[in-house]
Amino acid sequence: MDMLLQFVANGLVSGSFYALSALGLTLIFGLMRVVNFAHGEFYMLGGVLGWFVTTYLGLNFFVGLVVVVVAMAAFGWLVDRFLIERVRDQGEEPSILLTIGLSIFLTNSALLVVGTAPLNIAGAVPNAPVFLGPVVLTQMRLFAVAACAVLILAAYLLIRHTRLGRAMRATFQDPMAARLAGIKTAYVYASTFALGTVLAASSGMLLGSIYSVQVSGGGLISLKAFVVVILGGMGSFAGAIVGGLILGLAEALWGGYVSSGTVDVIGFLIVILTLIFKPYGLFSTQVERA
Amino acid sequence: MSASTPLLQVSGLHVAYGKIAALHGIDMEVAAGEIVALIGANGAGKSTTLRTISGLLKPSRGSITWDGREIAGMDAERIVAAGIAHCPEERHIWPAMTVRENLMLGGYLCTSRAQVEQRMEQAFQRFPRLRERDRQMAGTLSGGEQQMLAIARALMSEPRLLILDEPSLGLSPKMADEVFDVVREINARGVTVLVVEQNVHNALDIASRAYVVETGVISTHADAASLLENPEVLSAYLG
Repeated sequence: MDMLLQFVANGLVSGSFYALSALGLTLIFGLMRVVNFAHGEFYMLGGVLGWFVTTYLGLNFFVGLVVVVVAMAAFGWLVDRFLIERVRDQGEEPSILLTIGLSIFLTNSALLVVGTAPLNIAGAVPNAPVFLGPVVLTQMRLFAVAACAVLILAAYLLIRHTRLGRAMRATFQDPMAARLAGIKTAYVYASTFALGTVLAASSGMLLGSIYSVQVSGGGLISLKAFVVVILGGMGSFAGAIVGGLILGLAEALWGGYVSSGTVDVIGFLIVILTLIFKPYGLFSTQVERA
Repeated sequence: MSASTPLLQVSGLHVAYGKIAALHGIDMEVAAGEIVALIGANGAGKSTTLRTISGLLKPSRGSITWDGREIAGMDAERIVAAGIAHCPEERHIWPAMTVRENLMLGGYLCTSRAQVEQRMEQAFQRFPRLRERDRQMAGTLSGGEQQMLAIARALMSEPRLLILDEPSLGLSPKMADEVFDVVREINARGVTVLVVEQNVHNALDIASRAYVVETGVISTHADAASLLENPEVLSAYLG
């Protein structure tokens, strides 16, 4: 029983990162309809940049996180304005090819600059153990989960209760009506892409402070984010969170009781079952989104 | 033909969808305070004309002058800011947003929250049913309520010209009458109206003048009353 609780706790920790990362993808893939295969590389870049600003520039973790958020927001904005904009409204294939190309470029550029070795980010709090009954976690893990929750809440408030958030929802429901209301839809698309990039990159830096950053790990992260989005429902905020937690729990339990070496299989099994029994995902309806 | 200097003047407007030409030189004008109707068969180019005026489509040639300023090819966002609101065919409300959110976004260009609230209050006074449903998802409203919401949303930008594309489409005759009463009331408060309407009787009933569009050009232009007596128009559009 103690082992089960420990697996569940570990699963919820990983699940919160999956949720944060998938939230970024659900905005870009679910709402903007851009099939973004570079999402994992945005996650990786967040980790690499976090490592650079904390290790090389010696910045405090929190200041470093702010720098990563600002830099990756600018990066996401530029990617949308200069690349995604060119393939918008041309169907899914051009964006798939474009983002696959971008992911290859980003991975290889990062490999060229920082190499293949895992990069460790100094955490914000000590890595001391915390005992919660029979469950053991570290302060760093609890902090990272709390940081994920804060970022998810901030994104939710931005989308539901700000002028920009309303403009985003309006644009994705009906871009023509948005333009007729005076909304600069190009600005909204770029802002959404920037927000999705920031969520992925923040997740990358937070998780990099617990484990390490692997430059070549972006592809797997992308696939897991797609698993979560398909499971939760494209464009669904709640779906990304619940889907992320389900994937985290499923991996932890599979790894604990079945085989730790085949843990990535469970995600694909979930996708297959979701597509058979609930093709729109757990939370998606045809009308209500984000 | 119009009584005063036109507020909106369209000259030699050409628009194409790819290689297919839709407008072949539309000429028309709308004076301040008028209600002007555009009538014609399906596919004649009425909606294309409206969409080009409001910046959704770019003309290949021609001029659109708004209050003395050239606006042809300008982005839709800037045209709204200049005082032209377009209420498109099939309403295009945001179905998964509440009535209140739809109205708030209609006043998107207004940066003062107090002013947006004031305009929303005016909208609720004009359309009391929207006040009753202000927290309801717009997609769950009836067709007539959705049309009222679409008009109310367009008015949130406080336009000088309101463009209405098929405002009675899909509505019961009673509901259509209600919508046209509202259009008259809006016009009486000083808002100029340019309307495309499938129901030619209704269009000519509320308009002072009308243009007949045929295959991308204006074929006839006259006072609404005289068009109602024009045998060619009667046989072509009134049956």
